[in-house]
Amino acid sequence: MTEWHDAAAADALSDDEVMGLSIAGVPVALFRQEGAFFALHDLCSHGAARLSDGFVENGCVECPLHQGLVDIRSGAPCSAPITEPVRSYPVRVVGDRIEIALNR
Amino acid sequence: MTAMPESEATYVVVGGGQAAAWIARTLRAEGFAGRLVLIGEEPHWPYERPALSKEFLRGTGSVEAITLLGAAQAGEAGIECWLGQRVTAVDRVARVVTTAGGRSVAYDTLFLATGGRARRLPGLDTVPAERVHTLRTLTESERLRGALGGAKHLLVLGGGWIGLEVAATARALGVAVTVVEAAPRLCARTMPPVVSGWLHALHEANGVRVLTGTGVAGVTGTADGIAVTLAGGGRLEADHLLLGIGIEPEVGLAAAMGLALDDGILVDAQGRTSDPRIFAAGDVARHPNAFAGASLRLESWANAQNQAIIAAKAATGGTAVYADIPWFWSDQYGVTVQMLGLPGLGTRAVARGTPEAGSGCWLMLDDTGIVAGAVAVNAARDLRVLRKLLEDGRAPLPDAWTDSATPVQRLPSRPNVGMD
Ligand SMILES: Cc1cc2nc3c(=O)[nH]c(=O)nc-3n(C[C@H](O)[C@H](O)[C@H](O)COP(=O)(O)OP(=O)(O)OC[C@H]3O[C@@H](n4cnc5c(N)ncnc54)[C@H](O)[C@@H]3O)c2cc1C
Ligand code: FES
Repeated sequence: MTEWHDAAAADALSDDEVMGLSIAGVPVALFRQEGAFFALHDLCSHGAARLSDGFVENGCVECPLHQGLVDIRSGAPCSAPITEPVRSYPVRVVGDRIEIALNR
Repeated sequence: MTAMPESEATYVVVGGGQAAAWIARTLRAEGFAGRLVLIGEEPHWPYERPALSKEFLRGTGSVEAITLLGAAQAGEAGIECWLGQRVTAVDRVARVVTTAGGRSVAYDTLFLATGGRARRLPGLDTVPAERVHTLRTLTESERLRGALGGAKHLLVLGGGWIGLEVAATARALGVAVTVVEAAPRLCARTMPPVVSGWLHALHEANGVRVLTGTGVAGVTGTADGIAVTLAGGGRLEADHLLLGIGIEPEVGLAAAMGLALDDGILVDAQGRTSDPRIFAAGDVARHPNAFAGASLRLESWANAQNQAIIAAKAATGGTAVYADIPWFWSDQYGVTVQMLGLPGLGTRAVARGTPEAGSGCWLMLDDTGIVAGAVAVNAARDLRVLRKLLEDGRAPLPDAWTDSATPVQRLPSRPNVGMD
């Protein structure tokens, strides 16, 4: 059964913004794109960088260390040097709260 | 150019480093379906070098973490890798590549990604070899790590990026370090004085003895280490010596082949050499750089990757050109320094935040007011936005740059052209 974790207030983010969270000890980067929320594991698959410190543009987050691009919606790698996907987590909005599921 | 279908063509990549790996990967990603052979002299699968002076040297990294093209990926992508084999001859007429072991392969398109080799100092023959280190390869990093394990004092010759990163890592391992640099300041080749001064202070604050403007007259072996005689008199003893005095581009093969050279293999904006069937990329290649308005041979991770990708695309019919603004980073004592453009050409520094205190960014302007580059200290985001501006041919107003309360994207800007 999916276990949902309370993550943030639904109005905590604007479009194209990202915030870093720790949910049950797991680092999570929470994004808002065109009003919808997406969550990725907050660690680049190339090195030791937080994607929540990255730069959001055109539906991707650019890693602050080496400028690799990751698709915010899927976690898929979009440019070098990133070749492995970043894990993406399901997100839902319940009332005025955002919830994230870690197990799936 | 090749009359035969690409699926019957053979593309050969000489060099087993970062650029070589990205050429091979990109060729497959772009749909090249012919035979693809990568020939590299090192015994290792292609890897990224930056960690060799940082976490890998410190002992907290792994070969796996830096491998760029492993056995499984190469197998999956159908990339034939001849590792531990040095290419010794290329016949441009017959279009055949031959290795030291006598193996050969005919090519339709050839890529040279031979990188560079660490410069040595003449007259070291009498110094015990196990006391003298250079740092270019994984093998050398492992060897240096072993040496640091038992060392009390490391002498670093050369105050450039590699020397300084090794100094920082050695300090983290509890080793005393002296850096000897002949130039009057650190990183003088690429950095403006303000950055050299900050680096100097950073290393001294971490217990490194930094001797700039200090030449070396000779190096000798001692009973249990090495001794360096300084040009101005004086003598330093240490357990080990690291030579961090730069690299020479590995152009021997290209020279023997008669390709056009100028401190590196000359290529166009798509990585093509003077022979249209042959491409080059990475540390070994000198390309026309639009931002600099000059030809540059860059020794950086980003250049090796992105120039290689463009060359591979060009070889499969792509039209993209390599037009990146130079970008480089270094990690020392937990500080990430990122450099954009050619900050060393700037004569006026305008600081945003307090880079000298560990968070901020110097904008470097030349005499005519053009932004030549920038150096960010733990300020990746500001540099990222600045890069976007410079890519669009614009630059922030220098007076506004100091306003760190306003995000860079909201600062007033102007075309990045001279003011006089
Ligand atoms: C210790 C260290 C730290 C670094 N840190 C940073 C950093 O923090 N940031 C940054 O931007 N850059 C850094 N760099 C620079 C960056 O790693 C290089 O710019 C990059 O590796 C260049 O890639 P390349 O493929 O052109 O050359 P290389 O990586 O040198 O690869 C060339 C390969 O070709 C092989 N070869 C050469 N000749 C032949 C031949 N005839 N036959 C077969 N094989 C051959 C060589 O053995 C080698 O494996 C660092 C470099 C080093 C050494
Ligand atoms: S750590 Fe993210 S691109 Fe390298």
